[in-house]
Amino acid sequence: MRRGAFTPYLFLAPGLALFAVFRVYPLLEGLWLSFTNARLGRAQQAFVGAANYARLLDDTRFHVSLWNTAYYTVASTVPILAVPLLLAVLLNRGVAMRTFLRGAFFFPFTLSVVTVGLTWLWLLDPVIGPSTYYLRAAGVPVRSWLADPATAMWAIILTTVWWVTGYYLVIYLAGLQDIPRELYEAAAIDGAGGWRSFWSITMPLLRPVFLFVLVTHVIGSFQIFGQVFVLTGGGPGDATRTVVQHLYETAFQNFFHFGSASAMAWVLFVVILVFSLLQFRLLRGHTQY
Amino acid sequence: MSRAVRVWRVLLTGLLVIMAIAWLLPAVWVLVTSLKPTENIVRVPPEWIPWPATIGHYGEVLFSSSRTARIGRAFFNSIVVSLGSVAVVVLTSAMAAYPLARMRFRGRDLVFGLLVGSLMVPNAVILVPQYVLVQRLGWLSTYQGLIVPEAAMTFAFGVFLLRQFFLTIPSELEDAARIDGADPWQIFTRIVLPLSQPVLGALAIFAFRSAWNDFLWPLIAVNKPDMFPLPVALALLRGAYAAESYGPIMAGAVLSALPLLIVFLVANRRIVEGVRVSALKG
Repeated sequence: MRRGAFTPYLFLAPGLALFAVFRVYPLLEGLWLSFTNARLGRAQQAFVGAANYARLLDDTRFHVSLWNTAYYTVASTVPILAVPLLLAVLLNRGVAMRTFLRGAFFFPFTLSVVTVGLTWLWLLDPVIGPSTYYLRAAGVPVRSWLADPATAMWAIILTTVWWVTGYYLVIYLAGLQDIPRELYEAAAIDGAGGWRSFWSITMPLLRPVFLFVLVTHVIGSFQIFGQVFVLTGGGPGDATRTVVQHLYETAFQNFFHFGSASAMAWVLFVVILVFSLLQFRLLRGHTQY
Repeated sequence: MSRAVRVWRVLLTGLLVIMAIAWLLPAVWVLVTSLKPTENIVRVPPEWIPWPATIGHYGEVLFSSSRTARIGRAFFNSIVVSLGSVAVVVLTSAMAAYPLARMRFRGRDLVFGLLVGSLMVPNAVILVPQYVLVQRLGWLSTYQGLIVPEAAMTFAFGVFLLRQFFLTIPSELEDAARIDGADPWQIFTRIVLPLSQPVLGALAIFAFRSAWNDFLWPLIAVNKPDMFPLPVALALLRGAYAAESYGPIMAGAVLSALPLLIVFLVANRRIVEGVRVSALKG
């Protein structure tokens, strides 16, 4: 063999070992576990076929979790796509203090989900929270948003929008800056106004950015856990219980049933894959100029 | 520039400044609360100036051991875990990204394809088997049990980010070094890495942020209070106090935000650049 033929593999070895042991192997082991009766602390595990999956068909709490998670994902998609886009378009209009403005919107994204959750728990406190006081003063009938099944999920969405807007804002801004100025100038010469060039130039050229934001958001949303853990604990009742929370409780809180939890994980995986592929299909299309 | 355009820009700037300040108000409210004596926290209408101010809540959460987890200890744990994870991620992904960007070898595209594909795999899917693995290794409630899985979580992204950058380094530099007799390792450490400092910095910040803020994995992988990192300690701190005792909880929240706030103020541009490159150069 040629001298140095092993060199690339030596460079790759430490990282690939880490990747194989802590990413690939658990992924496959999880698939295997989902077909066993594995439990925390049970030394022997037996193959049980598709029993765990069959049980999920009857697990109404799992159905509720899946529904809530999908509801959250779909309901949060519009604000998560629109709010950062609006801010990015405004910021891209030659305003002063751009670095400060971008930094202010980005700041919440540097916080942990727990810190963000505690912040909004306090803001939304139904008795002494500041939002309660100001809304009452403005004549809005204040309820305990987090304790009301009709509003709890929306409080979680609000919290998440505050948390992640800055991240997507930065991505949109980068996408906007990659659009050649000449296109807007040519459109202006042809008599297109700001609104017209937004829909005819900005929106179509941002399509790859939309796709990235959408796929990233959907993958993240289907795994929502921290906000729910801190803000509602899944309540009231099961109104905000999500799949990852149900999985966490099945595996580590109530039943220690690893097999069943692994089956949930793989159902979630397939759902996420289907959603992602659908988005690629819908948004890839041909973009010609 | 016409007068109308200038007036419009000033108005727009003003509007955005107001929105940005409104966006920061929740965080300001947390800071204000953490500095108020308990009896002032519950006062209505809300008081935005914490006067008289106190740092008593900070002392309580940092050092008091009467409640569940001490935030001081958790802060130290988070620092160890995050820095450890940064070191592992930066080293392993730089080493892996270099041949993927600069060498030809069998299996290269397959390896890179697998790494990029793994970015689509949700972390929640491997939560349970990862727990089984770490338990088998005897790593539950240890630093390595947090550092190594956190690093593995960020590794593929790191390879992707660094490879994009390595591809842009002119090959003449490496050729010149090779003619002077440098071996691949010397080229990597003396030419490629020094040229890549900005992107390595961006990756380090990204890895620090994800390890510092991760909640779900440490929640299950640690069951000794002395080993809790900050997010877990904070979440449990809330349960340890009565509902209205927001003072200590908000002091803990401020402490947990400090390191990244400082990094962010110092390296604002680099963070933004890192997000940009990672998202759009795909």
